[in-house]
Amino acid sequence: MNSYETVIGLEVHTQLKTESKIFCSCPTTFDSPPNTNICPVCCGYPGVLPVFNQKALELAIRVSLALNCQINPNVYFERKNYFYPDLPKNFQISQYKMPLGHSGYLKLASGKTIRINRVHLEEDAGKLIHREDCSLIDFNRTGTPLLEIVSEPEINSPEEAFDYLRYLKLTLIYIQASDCDMERGSLRCDANISLRKKGDKILGTKVELKNMNTFKGVKAALEHEVRRQAKVLQSSGTISQETRLWDAGSSKTVVMRTKEQAHDYRYFPEPDLLDVAVPGAIICSEKTKIKELPLEKEERFKKNYGIVDKELEVFISNVWLADFLEEALKFYHQSRELVNWVLGPFLEQVNLLKLDPPQVKISAESFAKIVKYFSEGKMNNLAAKKILSLTIATNDDIDEVIRKEKLIQVSDENGLIAFVDEAIKENPKAISEYLEGKHQAIQFLVGQVMRKSKGKANPKVARDMLEKNIKEAGR
Amino acid sequence: MVDKKTVEYVAELARIKVDPEQKEYLAGQLSKILEYIDKLKQVNTDNVEPMREVNQHRNVLRKDEAVSFSGQQDILNNAPSRFETYFKIPKVIE
Amino acid sequence: MLDVINLSGAEIAEKISSKALTKEETASFFKKRIEQFDQLLNCFVDVFEEYPKSCGDSPLSGVPIAIKDNICIKGKPATCSSKILSGHKAVYDATVITRLKQAGLLILARTNMDEFAFGSSTETSCYGPTRNPWDRSRVAGGSSGGSAAAVAARLVPFALGSDTGGSIRQPSSLCGVVGFKPTYGRVSRYGLIAFGSSLDQIGPITLNFEDCAYLLNIICGSDPKDCTSLITENIDYAKSLHQECKGLTIGLPKEYFGQGLDSQVKDSLEEVRSLFQRKGVSFKDISLPHTEYAVATYYIIGSSEASSNLQRFDGIRYGLRSGCSDLKELYFKSRQAGLGDEAKRRIFLGTYSLSSGYYDAYYLKALKVRRLINDDFQKAFKEVDAILTPTAPTAAFKLGEKIQDPLSMYLSDIYTISANLAGLPAVSFPCGFTKEDLPIGAQLIAKSCDESTLIKLGSLYQDNTDFHKKMPPLEKYIKNG
Repeated sequence: MNSYETVIGLEVHTQLKTESKIFCSCPTTFDSPPNTNICPVCCGYPGVLPVFNQKALELAIRVSLALNCQINPNVYFERKNYFYPDLPKNFQISQYKMPLGHSGYLKLASGKTIRINRVHLEEDAGKLIHREDCSLIDFNRTGTPLLEIVSEPEINSPEEAFDYLRYLKLTLIYIQASDCDMERGSLRCDANISLRKKGDKILGTKVELKNMNTFKGVKAALEHEVRRQAKVLQSSGTISQETRLWDAGSSKTVVMRTKEQAHDYRYFPEPDLLDVAVPGAIICSEKTKIKELPLEKEERFKKNYGIVDKELEVFISNVWLADFLEEALKFYHQSRELVNWVLGPFLEQVNLLKLDPPQVKISAESFAKIVKYFSEGKMNNLAAKKILSLTIATNDDIDEVIRKEKLIQVSDENGLIAFVDEAIKENPKAISEYLEGKHQAIQFLVGQVMRKSKGKANPKVARDMLEKNIKEAGR
Repeated sequence: MVDKKTVEYVAELARIKVDPEQKEYLAGQLSKILEYIDKLKQVNTDNVEPMREVNQHRNVLRKDEAVSFSGQQDILNNAPSRFETYFKIPKVIE
Repeated sequence: MLDVINLSGAEIAEKISSKALTKEETASFFKKRIEQFDQLLNCFVDVFEEYPKSCGDSPLSGVPIAIKDNICIKGKPATCSSKILSGHKAVYDATVITRLKQAGLLILARTNMDEFAFGSSTETSCYGPTRNPWDRSRVAGGSSGGSAAAVAARLVPFALGSDTGGSIRQPSSLCGVVGFKPTYGRVSRYGLIAFGSSLDQIGPITLNFEDCAYLLNIICGSDPKDCTSLITENIDYAKSLHQECKGLTIGLPKEYFGQGLDSQVKDSLEEVRSLFQRKGVSFKDISLPHTEYAVATYYIIGSSEASSNLQRFDGIRYGLRSGCSDLKELYFKSRQAGLGDEAKRRIFLGTYSLSSGYYDAYYLKALKVRRLINDDFQKAFKEVDAILTPTAPTAAFKLGEKIQDPLSMYLSDIYTISANLAGLPAVSFPCGFTKEDLPIGAQLIAKSCDESTLIKLGSLYQDNTDFHKKMPPLEKYIKNG
């Protein structure tokens, strides 16, 4: 196995985030009832003509720029001709000779750069649903704008493929070009994989892998295929150039029944669409829409806030969280505390209340205030968490809520003395246990004080007072 | 120049069934037409730009606004075979 | 009933507007004629009981018009005279239909055509051929044979046809009417069932240039649904009617007057030249050297585009479906059963030309020769304002004469094809009759977007001749049975 080098190329299709389809005005909303987002154009009716969506062009340019591609100044579409039931015209409008972007690259955290061969636009096909005795077609998805991103075969391990996909997905999300939701099909991945003896210049026979529905699936499928191909080569066999499907259930790849023997797509320029002279103004405008990319954010977070590893992954993978943190840091500069609170109680509440990011209404400033108050002893842990739970979805004024809920922590001894005395009086057993050396009994007593004070007591102060009074009483 | 095998290949690409007895005949007809078309070989087209489009204008683009088509029921009514609101076809094996 | 049969469409509209006639009476009148004569000619595929709603005002409001069966009218069948579209009802209006409705025209019927517009004789229609009203044993030309014959026989005042290689002009020539193909992109193709996407145009078939100009005013214009449509200012073509033509120069390309041209047609064209000369138009001999390659170029490009455009006819979403045991059968058998011989031939030719290994030699080569043909015209129009040629090499040929020999059928398009390749406006108009009393047509071609010059010259010609007023002797068929 060690004598072989793995060579992987990835082909990713991503749905661009537009309101309408690429060549007609049908909505692109996901999960609509079958055949409700259709019209004569995307259903390949007789006499219809395509008209190109400006936003699709803009987003495609944005992606090409983010992937460091060169943009072809004049692009045109071509017809890719083949018959399939999910393809209404039995040709797909795509780009062949003149892709929008080419010769780009994606940098990974490992420092390695994977070159991107091409980025081109095409239209999506419909969905087939298979039943016992027939198949059903839903054309809602037909005509959704797709961007095909093809890497050079420079990925050298399934692990690296996973990284590539991760960074590619994050990049697309960061620049708001796509939702990249594999479950919803807005991101799809096919792989080409071959093995060659280390040191060999010529590529081995490549196998195409399809039907991998998650990034983990891609990694697992590639790992399996590496083992399979190595086994074949080691026993002096030959690899057949074929297409294999990943079967996640049985964790192996199986040969696909060939759709067509020869793929003679008979590409020719689409006569119903005009050439697009890519306007310099759009390129400039799209450039400005690319803010910080994932790798840049990673490096900055590491350097400025010392956030690394799993914590870093959470922030990089959830831009809104990272933005929230940085905004909060403007109002309270203790980064470690803020990070702990964001990753801890804040996310807990978000998950508990099942909030989507737009439903999180609390401002970063208010959040920073809560953490600050806790840190300064103005509120205890419980109170701070309670405020958070009350304001996370409303952004009510923190000070108002504190006042209303009377959540200011009581740290002043005069405020607590009554509760402390009561707790001591009512729990002789706990007192004797404590005096006998069972120090954990004090926790119970602190709990009692907390209960009596309706959670407002400063637990540290309560504990100190209890210890002092018990000792005094014990003399 | 166009033989039976070519007719079969092209018929496959075009998804049109050709009965065996028709293949030779079709091959003959196509050959005759292509023989005539071979005239084009006489024309010197070195350095000639292919005329891909008739009119020179560019960049007719559409604003990204979603508009629903009102005749979806008509589209479904044209379907030779339907199941609820799906188009129905013989089972496809992938 | 007024002498409707001798009125132009514009005149009928005037009568309707002045209440001398009603829309209903007019429609009734033509429907009666259709009932009487169409069984002899087979121009129509469908005469509507219920007309598409139209209301609007224009110089042609209320006048009935017939539409070629490849233009979509919402709610009506659109079959391109092909079995594969049987059962298909259009779910939207073609842009030209919307415009006709907004101009208040009465959309009366659908006309017969060669299947998918593949043909020059309307003999490949699945509804049977359309016969020439001047001689029923002869073809009406194609592919807009139904429209041309219907207008010639006065079964309808005017009609729309489509022209990819001469499909408006050639049948108009053979039937003795005016057939106009606008500049590519002048009229929206949205709703025209595509044959050759870079060649197709919809255009009017009329008895005279007045109606032609008014119809052009209605149907021309840019359309956001068709991005190949030209974005230009709207022009009033009626302003070009009855204008002086002194000082204009017409070119006579030598390649169009050589071998293969019937002598009677040649003589007729001579007369056309004389007439124009008497009216102060100059003539110049020109050359369009790549003319002999036009047919070959057209058949590669047209068939290639058509082969792809017709892939959508697969029995899945509309139209004919047969052979349902599995998906493969569905495709192969539906298309085998639904498509006629000529359609299959063109699809095969086009598929072959685009296929791997042949693309460069055929399709790409044809695109290059197209450029050269276009350049020939560009050069010529530096010296002339219009070009005069015969429309077809002969008058109408006999039914069955060419249908067995596809190549000879293709060659009958020799004079009309180049205008489609170069995207130029061109018109055929009646300029005489043969000894056998068959119409002869002359063709004028102009620069891109210069429809006005064609209207000017054509209108001048008709102001000085009567050929367009002559009617085919349909009554004799009734008498003789």
